[in-house]
Amino acid sequence: MGLIKETLALMRKDLVLEWRGKYALSGILLYVFSTVFIIYTSFDEVEPKAWNTLFWVVLLFASISAIVKSFVQENSPRQLYYYSLTNPIAVILSKTLYNIGLLMVVSLLTWACFALMAGNAVKDNSQFFLALFLGSVGLSITFTFVAAIAGKADHSATLQAIMSFPLVLPILLTLIRLSANALRLEQDSSISDDIAILAGIDLLSLGMALLLFPFLWRE
Amino acid sequence: MKNHWWKALGVIILLYTFTAGMLLPLKPGIVAVNPSAVRTGDTVTLSVQGYNTFFTQSKTPVRAWLKLDEQRALAAEDIEVISDNALRVSFDIPAHLPVSRRVQDFTLLLDNDVDGASVLPSALLVTQDSIQPERGEALWANSPITDLHEKSGITFPFRNILAETIRNTYFHVALWFAMLFLFIGGVISSVRYLANNDLNADYRAQAQTTVGLIFGLLGLITGIIWARNTWGAGYKFWNLREVDVKQAMTMVALFVYLAYFVLRMAFEDAERKARLSAVYNIFAFVALIPLIYVVPRLTDSLHPGSGGNPALGGEDLDNTMRMIFYPAIIGWTLLGFWMAQLYYRLIKAQMRVDEG
Repeated sequence: MGLIKETLALMRKDLVLEWRGKYALSGILLYVFSTVFIIYTSFDEVEPKAWNTLFWVVLLFASISAIVKSFVQENSPRQLYYYSLTNPIAVILSKTLYNIGLLMVVSLLTWACFALMAGNAVKDNSQFFLALFLGSVGLSITFTFVAAIAGKADHSATLQAIMSFPLVLPILLTLIRLSANALRLEQDSSISDDIAILAGIDLLSLGMALLLFPFLWRE
Repeated sequence: MKNHWWKALGVIILLYTFTAGMLLPLKPGIVAVNPSAVRTGDTVTLSVQGYNTFFTQSKTPVRAWLKLDEQRALAAEDIEVISDNALRVSFDIPAHLPVSRRVQDFTLLLDNDVDGASVLPSALLVTQDSIQPERGEALWANSPITDLHEKSGITFPFRNILAETIRNTYFHVALWFAMLFLFIGGVISSVRYLANNDLNADYRAQAQTTVGLIFGLLGLITGIIWARNTWGAGYKFWNLREVDVKQAMTMVALFVYLAYFVLRMAFEDAERKARLSAVYNIFAFVALIPLIYVVPRLTDSLHPGSGGNPALGGEDLDNTMRMIFYPAIIGWTLLGFWMAQLYYRLIKAQMRVDEG
C-alpha cells in the first residue's frame, strides 16, 4: 500500500505548489482566453466544423504548455531526494494523475471560453464530455512521459513539441472524429469502436510509461 | 564465410527479385472498349483493345461474351480480328433486359487458346428504354460461358489501371515490410541496451533505425511515383486535402523517428543519450502500433486495404507474384540489416576516433 500513499503524497505536493504559485493554471487560462478571443474576432461566425478543429488545436497547445513544466520544475538535487525516498512508479503515476486532473480543468475551461465567445456547438453533451475525458487521459499520459525525457535537455519545450505531436496524432484524430459526431457533423454507428480504440491507446501508453520510467529515473 | 552467408543470400534473393520481377510478362488483358455505353435494341460493334494479346496466332476462333451475372451471358454475333491487339466484336443487345435497373453494366470476357481468358469488368453500360424484366427474361438468348482456356507459361496478373506498375509491389510494399523489421530490430537493440547498459547495443539501435528511416523514405517515394501513375498525374503528396491516409501515416511515422534523431542530438553525454533515446524508441514504437490500425479506418482512400479497395491477398496477389513478393521482403530485410551492420561499425570507429 506504500505505492498509493506515496503517489497521493506526491500529488498533494504538486497541488500545493500549484496553489501557492497559481502560475500554471492562470497562464493557461490567459492563453486560452486570448486565443479564443482572436478566433472570435477574426471569424464572424464559427461554423461547427471549424469550431471542432479549432477547439482541439487550442486544447492541444494549452495542454502541451501545461504539462511541459512538470519535470522541469524539479531540479536535479530535488530529483535525487525523491529518488532516495520513493518508488519511481509513484513519481510518474502521481505526475500523470495530477496532469489528468489539470487537463480536465483546462479542457472544461477551454470549452467554457468557446461556449462564451464562439457559441456552443455541442449537440450531444454526454458524448462530447466523454471525448474530453478520454482525451485528457490520453494526452496527459503521453505528454507527461515525453516531458520526463525532454526535461533532461536544455531546450525542453522545443524537444517536447517535436517528440509528442507525432505520438498523439492517433489519439487526436480519433478525438476529433468522436467530437465531430457529438457536434452532429457526421453520423457514425462505429462510435463504440472509437471509444474502445481510445481506451486501448490510453491503457497501452500508460503501461509503457510505467514500465519505462524507472529507466529514465536512473540518473 | 560462415558468418557472411546471409549477406550473400540477401544479394542473390534481390537479384532474383529484380530479374524475375522486371522480366516476366503480364497476363493478356483488355485495356479499352469503344463505345462504352449503348441503348437496348441496338446491334453494337465494339472495338476492343487488348494488351499482351495474340489474337492472330490463335488456332481456334476468338470467342467473346458480355456477362450479366454468374448464370447469364450474351455471346458475340460476329468477331473480326484486326491485329494481335485489336478486335471488332458485334453483339445484339435485346430490346429489354431481364433486370429492373435502368442502367446495367456488363463484363466483357474474351477467350482464345493462346491468351486464355481475359476480363474487363463494367466494360459496357446498357441503358434500357423501358424496364420490363419479364419480357427481358423471354427475349434473353443465354449462352453459358464454357471451355475457357488457360494461358500457359508464367505471368503476372493483369489489372486494369495498374497494368505494368503491378511490379512495384516488389519494391514499394517490400521496402515497407523491411522498414518495419528494421524498426523492430532497433527496438530490440534498445531493450538490450536498457538491460545490459552496453553502449554497442545503442549504436546498433541507432544504425538500424537510420537504415529503417532510409527504407521508409524510399517506400514513400516509390509510393508517390506509383500513385501519380495510377491515381492520376494531378496527385500531389503535399496537398493534404487529397493525400492518401496511409501515406500521411507514413509521414507521421517518419516524423516520430526524425524526433528520435533530434533527441539524440540534444545530448552530449553518451550514456545519457543512449538511455533517453532507448526509452523514447521503445515508447514511440508501441505508440505507433495504434497508428497503423486507427488512421486508415478514419477516411476512405484509394490505397489498397481501405475504402473497399483490395489489398494483399484475394486475387490481386496470385501465386506467381507470391513467389517473388515474399523473397523480395526477405531480400530487402537482409540487405537492410547488412547496411545497418556497416553503419554500426562506422559509428563505433567514429567513437574510437573521437576518444582519440
